[in-house]
Parts: sequence; C-alpha cells; structure tokens
Amino acid sequence: MNPHLNVIDGLPGVHRIENCSKDKMTSLAMEMTHAVYGHDEVYGQYCPIQDYINCPAEKAFEYLADIHTLGEWTYSTRDFEPAGEDGLYVGMDRLGSATKIYVRVLANRQAMTVDYHCAWDQGKHLWMIYLMRVVPAELVLGKPGCVVTWTNCRHPNYDCNPYPETAPVGRKVWVGDMWPFFYAGHKIELDNLKHILEYRHANNCFSNGLPTTMGGSR
Amino acid sequence: MKTVSLVGAASYLPRRIVENSFFQNGDEEQTHVMFRGVKLRHHVEADESAQMMIVQAARKLAERLNINLAKDVDILMTNVTSPDQPFTGCGADVGKALGCRPDWVVDLHNGGCVSFIQMMAQAQALMTCHGARTALLCNVQNAAGRHFAHPETRKLKQARIPGDGCGVAYLVASNESPVKTIVQRNYCEYAGDMAAVRADGTAWWEPSTACAYVDFNETKLAAVMGRANRIVPEVIREACRRADLPTGEIDTLITNQPNRIFMRNWREALQVPRDRHVSTFERHGNLFGAALPLCLEEAIDSGQLKKDSHLVLGGFAHAGDFAAAAVIHWQAPAATSNGWMLPVRSADFGTVDR
Repeated sequence: MNPHLNVIDGLPGVHRIENCSKDKMTSLAMEMTHAVYGHDEVYGQYCPIQDYINCPAEKAFEYLADIHTLGEWTYSTRDFEPAGEDGLYVGMDRLGSATKIYVRVLANRQAMTVDYHCAWDQGKHLWMIYLMRVVPAELVLGKPGCVVTWTNCRHPNYDCNPYPETAPVGRKVWVGDMWPFFYAGHKIELDNLKHILEYRHANNCFSNGLPTTMGGSR
Repeated sequence: MKTVSLVGAASYLPRRIVENSFFQNGDEEQTHVMFRGVKLRHHVEADESAQMMIVQAARKLAERLNINLAKDVDILMTNVTSPDQPFTGCGADVGKALGCRPDWVVDLHNGGCVSFIQMMAQAQALMTCHGARTALLCNVQNAAGRHFAHPETRKLKQARIPGDGCGVAYLVASNESPVKTIVQRNYCEYAGDMAAVRADGTAWWEPSTACAYVDFNETKLAAVMGRANRIVPEVIREACRRADLPTGEIDTLITNQPNRIFMRNWREALQVPRDRHVSTFERHGNLFGAALPLCLEEAIDSGQLKKDSHLVLGGFAHAGDFAAAAVIHWQAPAATSNGWMLPVRSADFGTVDR
C-alpha cells in the first residue's frame, strides 16, 4: 500500500476514483467541456501544435536534428554557421531584419525529441525553447509515417526583452510581440515541414539536409 | 441605477462617396487582410463640420420620435474623432444650432469606437443622481475625409478603411425599452499604441505642411489582435451574464467595425450567426464611434431589430485601452412602411424643472 495515497487524496484539486465518484467525475467533465474556446485560453501561455507527416519517423527525426534544415522549413531563420562553442550556431532571423538568432540543437535519438534552444541577439542565455517530438504513426494512428508535436512555453522574456543592449540599433520589433501569432506562424512552418518531408520521402532525396540537394531546382 | 431606455437612432452620411480606385492601391487582392473588405465609404467635405453632421442627424431623429429639441434634451453628449476645434468640443455649438437648453453638455474625448456605450453609462448616472430625463447621444466620425483624403495620406495602406458618418440616439429615463446592463472595462496598460501623427514627425500644434493621420504601432499588430479577440468577447459575455442572457440567444449584435477578421472572431467566440450581426462595413468602412448608433438605425429601419428582442452592443476602443458592452431589451416600435410609429415624447416625459 502506497503510504502517500491518503495525503494525495486529500490534496485540493486531486481527483482520483478513490476520492471522486464516477458521477462527480462526469459532472466535472461536463462543466469543463465547452463548445468554443478563446484563442487566449488555448494558446495564451503555451503553444502546442502537431500534425501527421507521411514520412518515416527516423527520417523526420534526422532531418529535424540537422540544424541546417531550419533554413529550409522555417519561415525566416537562415544561414546558420558554428558560433565557436559547444554546438552553438548563429544565423539570421529575417523576421527581425538584421537580427541574429543563436541556436543549440539538443536531439535524443532514442526518444526522438529535438529541442531547439534559441535566443535573438545573444548566445549566452538561450531561453526561446522549441520542443519537438517525432512519434511513429504506426503506434498512435495505425498507419505508416509519423506524428510531429511542437510545443512552446511563454517565457517571461517574450513579454520584455531582457537584453535590449544586444539588439541591432533601431529595431522596433521584438520576437515576443508576435506571441499572439505564434499558433499561426508555427502552424505555417509545420505545414512547410510536412510538405518538404513528404516531397523528400516520395522522391527519395534525403542524401543530406541541405536545400541545394532538392531536385536541383535551387 | 435608474432604468433607462434606448428608444431610437438616426444618422447623417456625408454627400461624397469614395470608391476603392481613389486610393493608390485600388487592387483589393493586393491589400493586407487587415485592410480588405470595404467597397465604399463616405468622406466629409470642407463644409461638413461635426456640428453640422450632428444637427442634421438630430433633426431627423427629432422628427421620427416627435422630440421637441428645445425642451426634451436634458443631456447633450458628443464624441468626435476629428474635433472642429482643438480647444473645445462641439456640444454647445450643436445645442445652439438646435435650440436645445440642456442642463449637461458633455464632449467626450475618450471611449473611441465604443464611446456610445460610455455615453449611455454616463447619461444613466446623471439620470440616476441628478434627475435628468432625456439624453441626446451624438457620435461623429470624420477622420476619413479630413485626414485620409489628402493625396499623400491616401497612399497609406490603412487609408481605405475609415469612412465618415454621424449617428445619434435618444436615451430616456423610463423602462419602455430598457438597457438591462452596461459593462465597461479600462485597460490603461494598452494606452498609447494608437496616435495621430504627421509624416514629418511634428506634433499637431506645431507649424507644418505635412498631413496628419491616425496610425497604429505596427509592431503591435499581433498584440492588438490578441487583445481584441479576448477583451471584446469577455466584456460582451459579462454584460450578457449579468442580464441572464446566454450569448447564443443574442437576437441582434452590433459592434464597432474595425475590420472583418475581428468581427468574424467576435461572432465565433460568442456563437452569434452572421445574420444577427448588423454591420455596414462594406458600404461605410470603419465608422469608429459612429458605427454603433448608425448600425442601430440600420437595424431598426431594415426591420431586423424586432420588438421584444435582445439587442447587444459591444466593442473596444483605440488599440485596446477600453472595452464596453450593453444589453438592451428592445421594445421600441419597429419601422413601418411610411416611417415610425411615433410616441409623443414631450407629453410623456415633460422637462426637468429649471
């Protein structure tokens, strides 16, 4: 017998079948289920998105884990090159005109997670963190391909640039000003990822992640 | 609070109608989605002062409702986007032209696109505390012709959106068509993201040959949209909650009309079908504060606003520093084929002792 269970069942807000009847659970569920949810309720503090991609999970993982593919599937981050230390790269985020973006990719092949630790302007404190996970679709949807999930959390720095002295002179925009558009912006980028991966898979062109290999068109 | 009733509305639209080809980028498809959807708008000309527009609309309203303007206006309130004079509002000038003898003249310079609701709330307070019985509420939007018709400013991408017009409405201390609830919320933290500016950076009181126009802080576009998506449904829901009205049972919704995306989102959030949302956006553009009384007149005249139905007004001001909503149990007579069924206003209410 777990000795903590008595305490756990007494914690405010904990609902388990031992302390909450099925009727009460159903009542709670009905209260909580609305027809419509405001954008801010859903995406105000966290921005989770996901989609199915018709491409093997391993291929999708390897593609995402290669920092250079960011220049292909993201809307505006380009031209990454090593920034000297411990896997840190620097590129440009053209959303902020002359803005540098620093990125370190933390990928775990076993879990198929790819976390991009990023920041605008400086590489010492990478607080913009994009959490991605690839799941074989066979497991969760019963079909070939993969599911990609992508989550952002609203770090307080999105609301106020903590390092204004590192910003290019005269830049008016701040990455966090766009938070209300993060769902839309990331959905568009996830769509890019889906179209690109499905194209690459269908045409068997995964030889390397660089855009120059894509059908010789660029 | 004393029960007050909204009993009628009337409008004045400037003579000049402007098509999209007037603006530099006349091609609708090339326009940013924020600035799409307006086909026509009215522009004031030099002789159409705010005072003149209100006087025209008020005379129309007086005729419809059988108001004796000399006796039946205890409170005269105005809100004008581009005032005739920088130092004073036009309320007294309006009273002079109409022969009114109001006890209160209030020229509101805040409340923006929902100043109409703020005027309702202030009039209700004056009726409750000081015994006023009648109020003439006047909204003028004249920034389009005055600021966005100039050869330079009309090149701006937002120039096609504003349209001019005047809406007036009559509020009385009675329960004949009662205002059930009014909710107002100030968000001072969002002040300052909209401003009247000049291309050369001079302030409006400084000498300059550059034209002035209303500008939004474009880097805040996402933030402003996020605010509008949130604060307008919130304030409308709260007004409906206090009136025991599920938002799905709103019969007629009238909001300010800044662009069609905001209006779509508000309808979706409130689960109000499109045909219950009265808007003249395509024909009149963004009427700022005049949209509420002007659309109210439209809803009455078209027969859309039915006797014994729930009318909800709501919206937000500027870049989100104010939001307001009101629920009205509409009982005023519907339009008839040859005009309105006219109550005899003077006999019904008399006047305040002076």
